[in-house]
Amino acid sequence: MEKFKEIIRQYPFLGFIIAFFILMAIPSIFFTDLYQSHLSSLIFINIIVAAGLNIVKGYCGQVTVGHVGLYAVGSYTAGCMFMYLGASLWITLPIAILVTGLFGVAFAIPSFRLEGPYLALATLGGGEAIRLFIENGEFFGSTYGISSISQPELFGITFDTPDKYYYISMPIMLIAIYFSFSVLRSSIGRAFMAVREDPISAAASGINVKKHKMLAFILSAMFAGAAGAVYAHLPPGYIHPNNYTVIEMVTFLAMVVFGGLGHIWGGIIGAVIITIVYDLTRPLYEYQLFIFGLTIVLTILFMPKGIGGFIDKYFIDRRFKKKQGVASK
Amino acid sequence: MKKIKIIFSSLVFTASLLMSTIAQADNIKIGVSFRMLSDVGYKHGMLIEDTVKMWNSQGGINGKKIDLTLYNDECKSEKGVANATKLAYQDKVHVIIGSSCSSVTLPMVPVITKAGVPQIIPHSTSSKITMTGSEYIFRVPVSSRFYKIVQGKFTAEQQGKKIAYIYVPDQASMVFAKEMMKYMKDEYGVDPVYQVQAGEKETDFRSYLMKAKAANPDVIVLSGLVDETVRMLVQSYEVGIPKSVHRVANSVASKVEVPTNAGKAAVGVVYSAAFAASDTRPIAKKFVKMVKSKYGVTPGHDFSQMQDLLDMLKPALEQVNFTGNLAADRNAVRDSIAGIRNFTGLASGPISFCAAGSPECRDGNKTPVMIEYTRGGKNWKTAVAGTVTFKPTDGL
Repeated sequence: MEKFKEIIRQYPFLGFIIAFFILMAIPSIFFTDLYQSHLSSLIFINIIVAAGLNIVKGYCGQVTVGHVGLYAVGSYTAGCMFMYLGASLWITLPIAILVTGLFGVAFAIPSFRLEGPYLALATLGGGEAIRLFIENGEFFGSTYGISSISQPELFGITFDTPDKYYYISMPIMLIAIYFSFSVLRSSIGRAFMAVREDPISAAASGINVKKHKMLAFILSAMFAGAAGAVYAHLPPGYIHPNNYTVIEMVTFLAMVVFGGLGHIWGGIIGAVIITIVYDLTRPLYEYQLFIFGLTIVLTILFMPKGIGGFIDKYFIDRRFKKKQGVASK
Repeated sequence: MKKIKIIFSSLVFTASLLMSTIAQADNIKIGVSFRMLSDVGYKHGMLIEDTVKMWNSQGGINGKKIDLTLYNDECKSEKGVANATKLAYQDKVHVIIGSSCSSVTLPMVPVITKAGVPQIIPHSTSSKITMTGSEYIFRVPVSSRFYKIVQGKFTAEQQGKKIAYIYVPDQASMVFAKEMMKYMKDEYGVDPVYQVQAGEKETDFRSYLMKAKAANPDVIVLSGLVDETVRMLVQSYEVGIPKSVHRVANSVASKVEVPTNAGKAAVGVVYSAAFAASDTRPIAKKFVKMVKSKYGVTPGHDFSQMQDLLDMLKPALEQVNFTGNLAADRNAVRDSIAGIRNFTGLASGPISFCAAGSPECRDGNKTPVMIEYTRGGKNWKTAVAGTVTFKPTDGL
């Protein structure tokens, strides 16, 4: 077991390949209906957004409340490319990532001068402005939305049902997580943390604070763009400005907070739990928002580091006990 | 001892689950997805729950109990699609009722069509929905393709052709205003004297209204959601648009909040809908009385359409011989609903469906009614200005 752990530590890509095969097998073993596949795709999309949000919020410490606007940019880039050019996911996905990355630059600029609640307000305004622009623009389908966005084809298979689309959203999510891990474990990730802890000290240590803030916003936006494009092509392929409101933004933030801000698995754990809890409480629609709000408040009060914090504590305790045992021998 | 207790309780739990599954396997399952956010939204949900409870207390449908699953879609397409997928594949319902918003119903159509679940629409009016050609979709309300004609014809022939339009960026409001503009252009060759799309959740419409006033219109079309319609009506008097300029609203004006909150400003407003609370038929009077006493509101056409839907669904379900084969049962429910002819309920006209999945067959109510508020405030009153029954192909 120790040897296996060592190999994974040396070649983290192997871990993702194993995860890929496990996730490939899950539907045929555990899923009993198509809805579970649909829900899984939603979880994967939320994981991509939350992983990106964790970069800018959790690692770089920049308060952004407009991320849902970037998610909308990704969706509408894909939607419009399909509507006007008939492009498939394989074309819309990379372009949505690039376009959203450019929007990330616009979101990063206020962060050079603003902090905390001021930055939150600026990004909130940015996110809402994007949604309202889409809603009022006939080019984007305005309040009619964009419908019948095609599903991708590969090797003659059309991924047009929730069970098939699972095999599109899942690998994209894994690639996104791998990319997020690679960035956060690199010198860039450490620089992000330095900027988060104290920008002045970071600058004194030779870190270009502006550059890293910009990079965090761009990377984070690219994740949102990828998620948006995957969502736009999710069967039945319909996007509408109503799906990119402040409520959705709060949900994304809740995922990151619940999972654990700045914890490498934080956004992922949060996205999985929040999406499932939201689904399980669906029949309790009268109390759903109350339960949801209460969960966030209780998490912040009693679990400020989220579930990720608990996991960290467990491993640290275990390591400590192990070392203590070795020392006592 | 502890282990035995755990094993025993697990066995009891599993057995009870199994028993409940066996007991429920025979039941008829109805799934609902619509906007249950506002006070009135919840009351629509309560109306369905109460009706189904009543059916069950009367012995169910052909001796079978009805399981009702209600989900809130918050008028969001993402949630509507998730609800439709869940109801179709996980809850395995025989029929779906929903949704309130056209932007939610539209993406639900491909989901339910692929799953083969019949869906009846209680409120959505967008003509695009039935134009998808799905064999599984049925619409109880009047389609926007009929509304545009009746409203356009009435306005042009009785009120005037110099029309100013103010609409908000909500799908139903936009469709109403734009389809009416197109109709006026196509039929009478007239362009709007002024038209503007206001911003989302805007509260001050006075600048738009001043511009509309400057265009000296015969008619001013105010197309918005409930709050916006109320504000636009009240503010139209604040900016001095005289009473002689006719006010026209979309079917949202049928909601009780409009005359209640707009007060005197609601007087004279004309709108097209599928039901008027001033309807003097005994069935309508009884319904208005029941909703007032049970739910504390005067019903608009959203309430009446939901009641009509339930009233026509019950006999349709009674005609189905449920075999236990879900796909076959769903198709049988679809065919039974498609067989509804000339259902006369609360709606302004008879509701009929037929077999083909075309708008001609699936836009059930073809009789919009023109309604005018004669009194505003809490004790508001309406008068029917006229009704028209359209041919199935009109407005296509």
